[in-house]
Amino acid sequence: MKPLVVKELTKIFELREGNIFSKRKREIYAVRDVSFDVDNGEILGLLGPNGAGKTTLIKMLCTLIEPTKGEAYIKGYSITKEAQKVKQNLGVMLTGERALYWKLTGRENLEYFAALYHLDPSWTKSRIDELLELLGLKDRENTLVENYSTGMRIRLNFAKALLNDAPVLLFDEPTMSLDPQSSRLIRSLIKELRDKGKTIILTTHYMEEADQLSDKVAIINYGRIVALAKPSELKVKVNKSKVIEIEGRGFERLEELNIKGIMKVDYKDSLLKVYTEDSRELLPKLLEFLIGKGVQVSNIKLPEPSLEDVFIELTGRTLRD
Amino acid sequence: MIRDLRVLKAVMIKDLKHYYRYPSGTLFLFIVPFLFTFLLSTMGSFVGGTLAKEYFYLRTGVENFFLYQILGTNIWIMAWVILEDIGTSIRNEQIKGTLEQNFLVPINKFFFLLGLSFAHTLLALLSFIVVVGSSLALVDLESLPRLFPSSLILLLGLIPLFGLGFVFSSLVIHLKEPYSFTHLINTFFSVVAGTYYPVHILPYWVQWISYSIPHTYLIDEMRKIIFSNQLVVELYGNTIILLSMGIIYMILGLRLFRFFERRARINGGLSKF
Ligand SMILES: Nc1ncnc2c1ncn2[C@@H]1O[C@H](COP(=O)(O)OP(=O)(O)OP(=O)(O)O)[C@@H](O)[C@H]1O
Ligand SMILES: [Mg+2]
Repeated sequence: MKPLVVKELTKIFELREGNIFSKRKREIYAVRDVSFDVDNGEILGLLGPNGAGKTTLIKMLCTLIEPTKGEAYIKGYSITKEAQKVKQNLGVMLTGERALYWKLTGRENLEYFAALYHLDPSWTKSRIDELLELLGLKDRENTLVENYSTGMRIRLNFAKALLNDAPVLLFDEPTMSLDPQSSRLIRSLIKELRDKGKTIILTTHYMEEADQLSDKVAIINYGRIVALAKPSELKVKVNKSKVIEIEGRGFERLEELNIKGIMKVDYKDSLLKVYTEDSRELLPKLLEFLIGKGVQVSNIKLPEPSLEDVFIELTGRTLRD
Repeated sequence: MIRDLRVLKAVMIKDLKHYYRYPSGTLFLFIVPFLFTFLLSTMGSFVGGTLAKEYFYLRTGVENFFLYQILGTNIWIMAWVILEDIGTSIRNEQIKGTLEQNFLVPINKFFFLLGLSFAHTLLALLSFIVVVGSSLALVDLESLPRLFPSSLILLLGLIPLFGLGFVFSSLVIHLKEPYSFTHLINTFFSVVAGTYYPVHILPYWVQWISYSIPHTYLIDEMRKIIFSNQLVVELYGNTIILLSMGIIYMILGLRLFRFFERRARINGGLSKF
């Protein structure tokens, strides 16, 4: 059995809305019938817009939320029946800065959670030193967390998830509100963890992050997984590039660009961008037209579809709407 | 087992550090008993005039009004702080967002709750020794050694108080509104627990409530030890009651806690506020 197996996991939240006189029950399907598995040394990226159900899924896996239906296994232990064993095998980072005690120092926070993870006391100190060093917090270890910056808190939260050196790691938006440098640090650490054979799930809003890090990407929308494959395979599915970029001189000679299939045209200095439904079909006609008008073409690019294109194609939504 | 003790120690140290870094709440414990005692003795002499002391002796059999009140208010304020702190600490961690983190770790929740209580035990004991000890030293130096047996009884009485604290914490998680609830109940306890006057002057039906909370026995026992120099063994009746209350309230508290924990897992409430 793979270290992380998810079978038809479903979560329905029941809400009561309205005022005290007329309360109506309302059901929210946060996660529906989700199944997948993740192997050793593999990263699964969960990509989805706000409210798609990513956090709910992660919280079910770490036993904070009880599933309505379905089951999952961490290292073979059932999340509904063997919660303690599951927690022993998990390192979890939930979103944000609130996961830490602000009235304790960075080191005290890690010491506290080390004890709660039953770390061997002889190992605790060196483990904490190592993690503080790794995340660049060593010289601020004795500062109260309330005096940390947001980025420092998030890095400490990340360190906390690694404390028990668990085989399965869950990261919910690990790079949210980090600057590019810290994000790069976290990403490279996640890659190292993967190379050490850890099983990793990470959720993100950043396409590039999902693209760079994930061995498999699951696109989740309204609680359902709508696609699950390697990033490159997903991109192949959207095989039409939708932009043609042409570099050259003499664009000012064009009064109009009126070819069937062109949706929009942008041009600045020596770069012309043409948007279309199907660039491969348009390209020959476009070139013929341009050359006929005396434009000197020096370079042509058909940019690869990005994960974002895949996402829009599959969900009809951009990531942030 | 050793692992569990380490968890207990970590929780306790974390809480003590929080006390130390938010000191104002702790001061409350040391100052309020004196303020209340002053308030009551002023009111007593205002109402009772020159005969106040005599009346008091007739009704209580105790000459030292000051010590009588200090014992009552010290126990009551201590119980207040314990019930409120245990009752609200879970809720406060829920609001701060750290509660979830304590459910991510593979621990036995019982030791987590016990750790919370141990921090309070130290604090309660300290306030008892400082407040009652300094009062004895001031007005009745001879009785100072009785501080020792009364501290033992205090430790016993803390067990049902913790249990009651767990009941509070579950209700608070459910009601979401911590302070209005704990203030109401704690003020009510001060009226019925014999804090300022003997319980037998209360209406008969109110005494039923008095005798179902640990405060009453604890205060009564303290006064018997300090004023009549009774030995702990002579008080076995009260002691047995405190012990059984300890078991009953603990079980009730833990049961309720588990129940609300389960509910929170279903509706995602561990991180709600
Ligand atoms: N405790 C809860 N009670 C009721 N509904 C909830 C609860 N938690 C989440 N939901 C609902 O479940 C759905 C999924 O929420 P979730 O937090 O899992 O989304 P997400 O993918 O993590 O979004 P984001 O990108 O904004 O973090 C949302 O519609 C949300 O309103
Ligand atoms: Mg989320």
